[in-house]
Amino acid sequence: MARPVAMRWPMVGRAGLAARPGAGMAVLALLAGMAAAPQRAQAAGPQPPDAADDAVVLLARIQQAARKLDYSGVFTYQQGQFIQSSHVVHVIDGTGERERLEVLDGQPREYLRHNDEVQCLIPEKKTVLMEQRRGDRFPGLLLGDPKALSAYYEIRAEDAPHRVAGRECRIVLIEPRDAHRYGYRLCADTETSLLLKAQTLSGAGSVVEQVAFTSLQLGADVQPAQLASGWKTRDWKVQQAEMQPVDLAARGWRVPAPPGFVQVLEVSRTMGGRKPVDQLVLSDGLAAISVFIEPYYDSARSDYQPRGAARRGAINLYGTRIADYWVTVLGEVPGDTLRQLAESTEYVPLAGGR
Amino acid sequence: MRTAAESAETAEPVPWQESLSAWMDGETPGARPEGLSTPAGREAWETYHLIGDVLRNPELARGPSPALRQRLAQAIEAEMTIVAPRRRPLRVGLSGLAVAAAVASVVWMARPYFSAGDGGGEVQVMADAAGADAPALRDYLEAHRQMAGPSAVRQVSFDAGAGR
Repeated sequence: MARPVAMRWPMVGRAGLAARPGAGMAVLALLAGMAAAPQRAQAAGPQPPDAADDAVVLLARIQQAARKLDYSGVFTYQQGQFIQSSHVVHVIDGTGERERLEVLDGQPREYLRHNDEVQCLIPEKKTVLMEQRRGDRFPGLLLGDPKALSAYYEIRAEDAPHRVAGRECRIVLIEPRDAHRYGYRLCADTETSLLLKAQTLSGAGSVVEQVAFTSLQLGADVQPAQLASGWKTRDWKVQQAEMQPVDLAARGWRVPAPPGFVQVLEVSRTMGGRKPVDQLVLSDGLAAISVFIEPYYDSARSDYQPRGAARRGAINLYGTRIADYWVTVLGEVPGDTLRQLAESTEYVPLAGGR
Repeated sequence: MRTAAESAETAEPVPWQESLSAWMDGETPGARPEGLSTPAGREAWETYHLIGDVLRNPELARGPSPALRQRLAQAIEAEMTIVAPRRRPLRVGLSGLAVAAAVASVVWMARPYFSAGDGGGEVQVMADAAGADAPALRDYLEAHRQMAGPSAVRQVSFDAGAGR
């Protein structure tokens, strides 16, 4: 029943997965005592040739599980004082992936997804916002190409089993090799590789935020009927999220990506009824940084914030003015990474520009 | 064994721009260089003075960005390969700057939001709870959530800015 879904991101691990059924345990055992070496070509001795690749395979399996399995359950996100639960139903049918995500706390929200098309239901405004999905959400994991991950993270699995939502899972530690990014501790279902729990760790090893299933049904236990929303949206307003590709470099913007981060997206978009804003997304495969660029109006309207460094939960922000533009950088990376990015961003108006 | 620079210095005559600039710096007193009265000579004279004015102007003496430094270094490198008489390193540097200036006329950068004294360590902590965000901030977070994948979206839900 699980038929292949169009891949948005290059999946390095797929061939390896197909070639070696049940390779997961071998990978886990192999990684347990070994740091994935970034330059394994130079490694001497009997080291298995693809230790670094296997770590990537492991993460790719987690990613595939989130896309290809039928599952439903409640997961809880916690960050600082804040806690919120969501109910997710994910089913593969003849047309691909269908998913319904319902926020259980606070303002009612629902996200109905069919492959890459997402309807965001906003009941208090009787509005359906249509968006294109970019990248996966929990229990998905990766953003962009996982190939280079082991150059910037040390990835290893632990032997001792763990238990989350009544299921046995394996811990995977993803530790950053530099100070530009956070680390992660994951727990992936032993049987299916589905991600059951994910923690974001700061340099000091403290948990910045975490998300975990508290209840989970898999396979035949999932009721496809749960995909239907309880809201009657027939007479609701429908809004399209508007987005056009742009080339910021051609306009004179030089945004130096932190080590390991590559550009995954560059668009011009509308945001909250304001003037168009350019958004650039950088990712190292796990973490993401958004760079927003908009015209700066030197008027009484001074809602450009934050000015300088700010933090909101696990997200760091940095706002600054460059020439006649306001630049906001944010992402789930350490504040210094954003500060460096913002302070080394350059705008060079092109001579004889159009 | 003679180095390439030495051989270049002795083998080639000093170009007239060199003698002009040396004369401007007062290093060859008395001898007015030939060619100063030609149009090319006058242009060189003005260019050298312009460069000197720019260098002496404190308004323009802000520290260049790392990228500009890199381009400048590349430009100087390119310049070096032509002729590099060791007697006049300053003039070589100036030519490099002129080349770099042709590459990029203005480079805009962020202005830091702290004074030199406080070290810039202050981090503003924005509200954590759902409704308390400034609307503008919520838009950014929502836009990031929408585009930036799983790590950003664990908080999917309480960023409710969309569709306003």
